[in-house]
This record gives sequence, C-alpha cells and structure tokens, in this order.
Amino acid sequence: METWLLEFPQMSQDALRAIKRGIDKGYLSFSRTYGADIEAVFEPVLYFLVWFEKLLLNAPWWLIILVIVGITWFAARRWTLVLGVAAALLLIGYFGMWENTMRTMAMILVCTLLAILIGIPIGILMSRSDRTQSTVLPVLDVMQTMPSFVYLIPVVMLLGIGKVPGLLAVVIYAIPPVIRLTNLGIRLVDREVLEAGDAFGTSKWQKLYDIQIPLAMPTIMAGINQTIMMALAMVVIASMIGVKGLGQPVLQAVTNQYFALGLFNGLAVVALAIIFDRVTQSWGHRMQTYRQGMGDE
Amino acid sequence: MKRVFAIGGLAVAMTMGLAWGGAASAACGKVTIAEMNWASAQAAANIDLFILKNGYGCDVETVPGDTVPTMTSMTEKGEPDIAPELWLNSIKPQIAKAVKEGRIEVASEVLDNPGINAGESWFIPKYMVDKNPELATLAGVLANPQLFKDPEDPSKGRFIGCPAGWACQINNENMFKARDMAAKGWNLVDPGSGAALAGAIAKAVNRGEAVFAYYWAPTALLSKYAMHRLDLGKHDAVEYGKCTSVKDCPNPKPNSYAVSEINTVVSTAFAKKANDAYSYLKARSFGPKEFGDILIYMNENKAGGEEAAEYFLKKYPQVWSKWVPADVAAKVKAAL
Repeated sequence: METWLLEFPQMSQDALRAIKRGIDKGYLSFSRTYGADIEAVFEPVLYFLVWFEKLLLNAPWWLIILVIVGITWFAARRWTLVLGVAAALLLIGYFGMWENTMRTMAMILVCTLLAILIGIPIGILMSRSDRTQSTVLPVLDVMQTMPSFVYLIPVVMLLGIGKVPGLLAVVIYAIPPVIRLTNLGIRLVDREVLEAGDAFGTSKWQKLYDIQIPLAMPTIMAGINQTIMMALAMVVIASMIGVKGLGQPVLQAVTNQYFALGLFNGLAVVALAIIFDRVTQSWGHRMQTYRQGMGDE
Repeated sequence: MKRVFAIGGLAVAMTMGLAWGGAASAACGKVTIAEMNWASAQAAANIDLFILKNGYGCDVETVPGDTVPTMTSMTEKGEPDIAPELWLNSIKPQIAKAVKEGRIEVASEVLDNPGINAGESWFIPKYMVDKNPELATLAGVLANPQLFKDPEDPSKGRFIGCPAGWACQINNENMFKARDMAAKGWNLVDPGSGAALAGAIAKAVNRGEAVFAYYWAPTALLSKYAMHRLDLGKHDAVEYGKCTSVKDCPNPKPNSYAVSEINTVVSTAFAKKANDAYSYLKARSFGPKEFGDILIYMNENKAGGEEAAEYFLKKYPQVWSKWVPADVAAKVKAAL
C-alpha cells in the first residue's frame, strides 16, 4: 500500500520547525518594537491596582470588615449571612492570612470591575446583531478553553511579571460569562414588552436602558456572579506569574506537600468566593422580587 | 497457548539479540546509559551513545532516569552503567559512600571550570555592566536600586528571586535578608514559576531593559542571553546548612552558592569491563561555549537529545576528537 495511506502525510520536520521559528522570532521582534508602548498603555491600570491594594492593606482591619458587612447587609438584608461573612473574615485574619486575602480581594475586585466595564457593552452589541453574536461566540470559546500558560508566557514576554499580566490572564478567563449572559438576558426579553415600548414611541436608547437592561438584570447579575467565581479560580494561576496573594502560599504548599498550608489558604479562597457569591446572588434575587412585587401591585 | 508462544518468541528474540550484541562488541559489551529528563543531560546521553556505539562498538541503549532513582539504581544494582550528567550536590553522601565501597566511579566533570560555568547565582545583563562598570560587582548593583526600578513600587529596586515552593526560594530569602537589601531599597519579587522567571529575564534582555534575577547554569537561557554573573563571595558550607537553607533562619549571614558538581558517573563493573570506553568518558568535558550552543540549538528547534547529539558531533569535531584516539574518531566520523 502507498505509504501515505498508512502514515499521516505530515509536513516535513524542517518546514514545521521553520514555521515555529518564524512565529517565535516574529513575536520577539514585535515585543521589541511595541512592548514599551503597550506597557505604557497599561500603566494607568497598574497604578489603579497598586493604589487599590495599598488602600485595602493600609486600612484598619475592623473598618474593612465593617464595610464588607455593611455591603452584605445592604445587598442581602439577612442577619445569618451578615454574621457568617463577619465570622469568615475574622477567622481569615486570626489564621494570619489577612494581608494575602486583601491582596487577592483587590485583584479580584479590579478584574471583575474591568470585566463588567468591557463585558456588558460587548454583550449588548452581541444581542443587537446575529452577525456580531456569531463572530464573538467562538472567540469566547477560545478564551475559556485555551490553557492559560499558552498565552501567559507570551504576555510575560510582552509585559513582564506581576499584576498587569496577572490581570490580563484573569480577565481573559473570567469575562465570557458576563458577556454571554448579558447577551442572553437581553435576547430573552419578551417581544410583547418591546412592542408595547414601540407603541409608546420609545427611542432605541430608551428601549435599551428602560426596558431591556432592567428586565435582563437578574440574568446579567448571574453572569457577574459567574465572572467573579471564575476570577477567583484563577488566583493560583495568576500567582504563577508573580501576582501576590493567596495563590502564592498555595503554590508553595503544592510543590512542597505542605498539606495544612495549602488547606488554610485554599479555604480562604473558598471563603472569599462564598462571600462574593452569596452577596451578588442575594442582591440579584432581591432585585428580581422587588421588580416582580412592583408589577403585582 | 498463545501466551506460551509469545513468551517463547520473546526468549528467542532476546537470546538472538544478546548473541548478536556479543558478536558485534566483544570488547565493550552491553552498556546502558541513563537519559535524564532535562535537555543538557539528554544531549550528553545521546552523544555518549553515538560515540560508544560507533567508535567503540558497544551495544548501547538509553534508559530513562532522574537524579535520585538513577543514583540509587546504580549504587544498589550496578545499573545503568553510565549516568552522563549527574548533579551531585544534593546526593553527595550517598555518592561518597558508594565510591568508597567500590560500586561506582566518578569519571569526569561534564563542564570545564564548573565554578564559573555552572550552578546558581544572581545575574544582570552584560550590556548594563558595559554601560556602567560599577555594576560588575554585587556591591555596585546593591548600591543602585534605582537602575532596577520595580514597576509596581517605583521607589524601590526589583530583585527577582526564586519561584514559590522551590528550595531556592528559602536560600534567596535568607541571602536577601543577610545583605540587608530591603533597607537598601530593594523588593524581593517572587516570579511564581520557573517559566515566569525565565520569561521575565528573556523579556528584559530582548528589549535591552534592566533586570536583576536569580538563575542557574547550564541553561539555554543563560547560554542564549549574555548575562553577567555576580560574585556572591565565598561559600560557607556550614552556615549554608545551618542557616542559609533553613526557612525563617533568624540571623542569616551573607553567603553564596556551592559550586555545582555536575559529573559523569559510571558503575565500577563497566569501568573494569570496558577500559577504552571508560577512558573516553574520563576525557569528556564540554567547554561552556559548545555546551551552551547545544542548549540553544535544542531550545530554538525544540530538538530532542538525538538531534542535539548529531548537531554537536557534526559541528564540533575538533572538540570531541580530542576525547578519543584517532582510530575511534575516524570510525565516529564515518558513521555521521
């Protein structure tokens, strides 16, 4: 039988090597030419990240606990949840993980904020045109499934190690849910409600702001909630490119089989996740019942 | 029934293999070489394989290995015969004991002058030293944190240490503390992973920027980029064991890394049985330039040990022909 039937007719080793080399070299020269400018673009983000982290680190611990507990109460109005959040934060501090938890929290909050600021407009654009949706969806698939280190090392070659590449890694991984669910939420708004809006002569913007977004809000909140959870899941990966926080002790524990160290810091990440999750969820839930209540009366 | 046939077949194949091997290499016999799981050792293993097979007519085969398992297997069972690149620093007592009991022999140093060409240290790019000769010494670098600005804390200098969880994280922390670097305006930054540490150095050198970091040789990174090795002073082994390598040591003193002992180790049985081949291994010691070149070749072409060996043997005949007698060199050359 012909050999190409038995063995896959693969590209010659030399050609393959030449391609890989060409891509590597091209990327290096790109980084040499534009790297400094791209770094300058991210300077404000870095400045904000550093400022916010310092704010959380330098504020007295009881003030931060008060603020978080206040936000929890405002969002959920449930004493059990408020007490649980306070207890979790006190335990984290008592076990000596306060600083790292603040660092991780600063990182996660900035990443989530950025993801929301970028993600919701993209989601809205996607909901308005099927063509945009069909081009953005595969990109989101790539962002969620591409192994992080594949793009992390090029990012390190471009921006160095530290907060900014960490932020990029987290945002790339965590942004898809908020985009997807914003798109979905707006698309699920009842056609009849929109027709009613048309009947009252609403403009496109009025329709978006006063009908579609409010009605899609519970779904969008679910997206934001998922985005926060995925951002927290990236804490350890981000620490592999020099982001300080709870990820570093976990990494140390994993390479040295320090079971207890890993468990404590892992549980601190879980505690943060539960706090963020319960607060955003009950907020979304309350918003929904509030609206429904308004409709009934 | 089938199984009996299979086993019988295997036995026949093995006997035939042995007989054939014996006939082809009466002088040298069957030799196994440990092929470790890192680049430089894979290249060394395949270079030895090619020369022993084609130059000395040995019946050679590589087996996978790693530092501790290979050492244990060699001292306990006398197998494999050759470990072409064994890092002895962490397994010194066991090696010393096995040498004394006559089970293994240390043939040669893999790299010439390992004090300069191998091991861990702190590095800055050479172009920084060329521009500012003051930076040639550790004291000169430590006095100038403003030249190595930490982007996340611009009033301080950034020293990139060793990834979280590695043994070198502890000794870097202690050396950082011992030299009072925090008070001199330095931050110790944890790169988080080996890939990020290498990436950070490569990024800076590729763009002609400043970087001050811990690294180790022989590696593709240090061979590829011209880095200046800072002299960390004298190595004090007692202090190193007592404090430098101990986490949270209360009062560390300035210290430096031990010279890495990277050696070719062979089983005594092999050394006795194959005298000629053993004298080749005793002579085999790479210069930093060609060793670095092999590593760069492997890194850039994603090449394995076999390709690397071929590359080295073709490109540097003047180097390896010094390790073997003329008739062996001719045989190797003919096989290339």
